[in-house]
Amino acid sequence: MKTPLIVFDNFTFKYDAQVEPTLHDINLTLYEGEKVLILGQSGSGKSTMVHCLNGLIPYSFKGKIQGSLTIAGVDTLHTSIFQLSKIVGTVLQDSDAQFVALSVEDDVAFALENKSMPKKDMIPLVHYALNKVGMIDFLKQVPFELSGGQKQKVAVAGILHEDVKILLFDEPLASLDPVSNLRTVEMMDEMAQDGKTVIVVEHRFEDILHRKVDRVIVLEEGRIVFDGDVNRLLQEDILRKNGLREPLYVQALRMAKIDLKGLSLNQVQDVDFAHFKKQLSFLNDKHPLPPQKERLPLVEVKDVSFAYDPKKLVLKNISFKLYKGERLALVGQNGAGKSTLAKLLVGVIRPLSGSIEINGEDIKIYSIAEIANRIGYVMQNPNTMIVKHMIKEEVSLALTLRKYSADAIDKAVTEALTITGLESMSHWPINALSYGQKKRLTVASILALKPEVLILDEPTAGQDYRHYTEIMDFLNEINVSAGISFIFITHDIHLAIEYTDRALVFSDGSLIKDARIFDALSDQSILERASLTQTSLYTLAQKCGFEPERVIENFILHKGLYE
Amino acid sequence: MSRRFVINLVQGETYLQKLNGTTKLGLFLIVMVYTMMSFDLRLLLPLFILSWIGLASLKPNYKLILGLFGFIFFMNFVNIILYYAVNQDVGSSYLNGTRTVLIQFNSYWYLTIETLWYLSVRQFKMMTSFMISMVFILSITPGELASGMSGLKIPYKISTITSLAFRYIPEIFNDYETIKMSMQARGLELDKRRLNVFKRLKENLMILIPLIFTSFDRIGNIANALDLRGFGQGKSRTYYCEDPVTSRDKLFRGITILLIIFCISFMVYQNVNHFGMWFPFKI
Repeated sequence: MKTPLIVFDNFTFKYDAQVEPTLHDINLTLYEGEKVLILGQSGSGKSTMVHCLNGLIPYSFKGKIQGSLTIAGVDTLHTSIFQLSKIVGTVLQDSDAQFVALSVEDDVAFALENKSMPKKDMIPLVHYALNKVGMIDFLKQVPFELSGGQKQKVAVAGILHEDVKILLFDEPLASLDPVSNLRTVEMMDEMAQDGKTVIVVEHRFEDILHRKVDRVIVLEEGRIVFDGDVNRLLQEDILRKNGLREPLYVQALRMAKIDLKGLSLNQVQDVDFAHFKKQLSFLNDKHPLPPQKERLPLVEVKDVSFAYDPKKLVLKNISFKLYKGERLALVGQNGAGKSTLAKLLVGVIRPLSGSIEINGEDIKIYSIAEIANRIGYVMQNPNTMIVKHMIKEEVSLALTLRKYSADAIDKAVTEALTITGLESMSHWPINALSYGQKKRLTVASILALKPEVLILDEPTAGQDYRHYTEIMDFLNEINVSAGISFIFITHDIHLAIEYTDRALVFSDGSLIKDARIFDALSDQSILERASLTQTSLYTLAQKCGFEPERVIENFILHKGLYE
Repeated sequence: MSRRFVINLVQGETYLQKLNGTTKLGLFLIVMVYTMMSFDLRLLLPLFILSWIGLASLKPNYKLILGLFGFIFFMNFVNIILYYAVNQDVGSSYLNGTRTVLIQFNSYWYLTIETLWYLSVRQFKMMTSFMISMVFILSITPGELASGMSGLKIPYKISTITSLAFRYIPEIFNDYETIKMSMQARGLELDKRRLNVFKRLKENLMILIPLIFTSFDRIGNIANALDLRGFGQGKSRTYYCEDPVTSRDKLFRGITILLIIFCISFMVYQNVNHFGMWFPFKI
């Protein structure tokens, strides 16, 4: 009945540049029409597996292959990447890199052009594909006008040519807002309904579970450690054993010490939470509001508006206070004004009206560099910040530029390196660092200036759970030990729930909610306007008749104890 | 964002824009040869007028065009002044050696009719080629340019590189802005009031390092994307944005062929007869 489509047979792959193989002795058969999720930490071999499936290995990445990989009856060693691209369509993580043409329709036609198809044959195919992904009204748009989610849809349309059998998604949810994530998951599901074999590599398991998954493969150090359905994966506690994030509803069930054997856990909707109402009742405990401590306002944004083009305000009358030691989340769609606000706070752009004060002083009299002594900005990708070759040089750069004395520089650098746990590596070259260490380094290079506030843009984007926890716990420590306030710009609701005290929700240039994250998330109209989504805890709360904000609060409270 | 560029990324609806890419590119190339080959005002003037008509048909943003026109005019004018300063008799060497002083400023400085004529025609020629280029740039999209180039049998990998440049240069510029912002926040002084040009250039180098690394990452990803979508599999490729060859293309291609014949005969004739430039004020 089931036709094997992809067969790994004792497959081992070693990159030429490496000593050890990245994939060990893989034996795996994927069948036609299956929807498969591949999970694994960074370095577990997921990307390598994707490259093997789409032919970049051995075409672009050279290495040694043992065993065989057969796709649709063709041995990938004896075929070309072009032949393979007719069967396997890949959606890359970087949707900008994938959008190579200058308009939507041209981009969708790109693969067809490469096959030398005459124009008259291309038109219906391009229209069909764009209809499929719901982008037919955007035919003539240029990439610069599209959102990340829209670019991704175009990328999918671009690989949907007539005989492609396998759709391969490489971390499709990494840089989208929560609602776009759900739409992407739904779109992948529709493709599977159409009979395509869908293979997804993604960290955000809970988001993926928005639609049913047939099969999950877990990789660890280049070997398959699990191959089965979602139910078994969750019951056998595979995720925690391999440093991966469990869906929140499963974590909640575990906290309540509920035996998962025999339960249907495939999707949050399937779970009969009401049956365990008693065990879960701790999630509905009422806590007295913590006594209001005397809080010192650190940054005060007063009625700030901003526009690049005088006719169109990008930020409208924004007012809020950031207190000392507070952790704030800026959430909302791309283009809602979050990054513009960050730019205003660091002084790269200045308010059209209104004022920004630090400790009661208007920052308008200060230069960008002077503001940076008090508000630091850490960008998403560490590679866009690093300019030096040695760790010490990088951390001292801001101080050297300010012409501090050698002694003062030494002292500040040592301190910053100690806080960030990099002191033992201070004489290392930067290219020896991992991604997470580079992230620490960029934080250290900003901390050297002893700012009172750190703004972090998507600090954990594209990180697996272990690295995510590592980075966020590290930031939390700084928050406690150095009393630094944080502003996180993020799409990640989990991050906002677990690591921030308050959320500012932006929509279309306005600040539409300034509240504790639990309260913001329980307001349906706010969620809709800001393209946010409920987590599975909300469903749990509803099924048990609990107060959602209380459930989230208790969940966070107990999470510490449970781990 | 696209409105910031002079170029169109998506084809417009006007007469010239609707032409096939190969037609446009071919016509442009031969008209440029036509402009280059002589200093003859009788040949240049009709083209100049036609180029304005062409420009008007494209419904451009005149403010931008006139601004550019003024800038190019000024740059060429400076050039012409330098020509004059270096050799006050530059016109005579092109006009069969006659020399008619029009104004004698003082014992050293004078202006001859020949020089005035030569330099004026030179300026006019530069402005004509500017206008032709403007019409061409405004009527073509990078995608059409690529298809036009392949229509003229230029290897398609070269033409694809040009259209990829249009796609990714703005992205790299955005990266530059982001990196600049973070470097400024770390104390890099780029304020022109505080630093001279050379210092600023030196400081800008600091931004280049991360920019180069992120761009390399990007290029790697793009290269993979191209491979995965079958780019480079055949000897040729087709173009979705290519317009079918219509009767109006045939008309323009006809004109292009006539112009080629004319230009070749003109250049041969010019070389055989060694005549100078056309000069109506010969005494």
